[in-house]
Amino acid sequence: MNTIEEKLWNYIDGTCTPAEQEAISRLIEEDELYKQKYTELLVLNQEFAGLELDEPSMAFTYNVMEAIRADQALAPLKSTINKKIILGIAAFFVLSILALLAITLSNVQISGNPFSVVNIKLPADLKLPAANAIFNSAFMKSFFVFDVILALFLTDSYLRRKKAAKEA
Amino acid sequence: MQSKLSDIELIEQTLAGNQFAYADLVKRHQRFVFTLALRFAKGREDAEEIAQDCFVKAYRSLASFQGQSKFSTWLYSIVYTTAMTFLRKKRVDTHSIDDEGTFVQVENHESAYDTNNAENKSRSYYLNQAIEQLLPDDATIITLFYKGEQSLEEIAQTMGIETNTVKVKLFRARQRLKEKLERNLKHEVKELI
Repeated sequence: MNTIEEKLWNYIDGTCTPAEQEAISRLIEEDELYKQKYTELLVLNQEFAGLELDEPSMAFTYNVMEAIRADQALAPLKSTINKKIILGIAAFFVLSILALLAITLSNVQISGNPFSVVNIKLPADLKLPAANAIFNSAFMKSFFVFDVILALFLTDSYLRRKKAAKEA
Repeated sequence: MQSKLSDIELIEQTLAGNQFAYADLVKRHQRFVFTLALRFAKGREDAEEIAQDCFVKAYRSLASFQGQSKFSTWLYSIVYTTAMTFLRKKRVDTHSIDDEGTFVQVENHESAYDTNNAENKSRSYYLNQAIEQLLPDDATIITLFYKGEQSLEEIAQTMGIETNTVKVKLFRARQRLKEKLERNLKHEVKELI
């Protein structure tokens, strides 16, 4: 059940129904206790409304704008990379794959038996580098070491980001 | 001098790349945001840090503001969340935020000072002192209601609670503020009220 003060605060704030508003209004006029409390709460309400706002330092706006500029400068690389570059690289690889596929298909010779082994021939004038010379043992070892270091680096940065996000 | 454009117009200009428009928005809301932060931080340096953080967060998410509520309501909800996070972090080193004793300590220290200087202090001084002694949630509701031009529904949105809960909390906050004020003013309050 509402106390007198609760009813009166609702009346002052205008959060009660029109019927309640009317009933309380009548009580204020007729009941001395209500009248006294109402006057008291009205004064308090005025006091509270007179609360003063605090002022931040003079450089506050400047500091905020500087923080925003610094924040923008620290934006992650992925959001600043031009998407056109990524699309260009993707287009290059897609075209290369399609060209290789076209060359391969144009050289496919299907004999009478469709299930016979497909005989694929690359153009005679196409000179590919000798794979054995590239993928020798030393090269492969360095490649795997580089991969491991890269994987460790990426895992470390991922975990750091996750930790920072958790702390924020 | 502050711009006379509306908040929405300033937001549109900011999103179009005009950073001066956002500076105008900051100037317009900084006093209230800082005061709200001060209700939680109880120290100007920390409050400035919270307020600054809020404006940076608001800038980052400005594009997601859809204008369904007032910009101030949206901004105050960022302030409330940021300040609560700040309190939770502080809580590790200090007491519980629900522990009124934390604030009573300040109150006792100040009350001795009051007795000697009561006559020299204005009403607003005592009111601000009393509000500083309230729990952050109580002080926030009072500030939002009286100075933030926020309705009960908007306060509910800012604090992420039901409107009826805000109504009850506002009533209790006023009661506590009245008690603190009476205690601080001692006999003088009887003449004022």
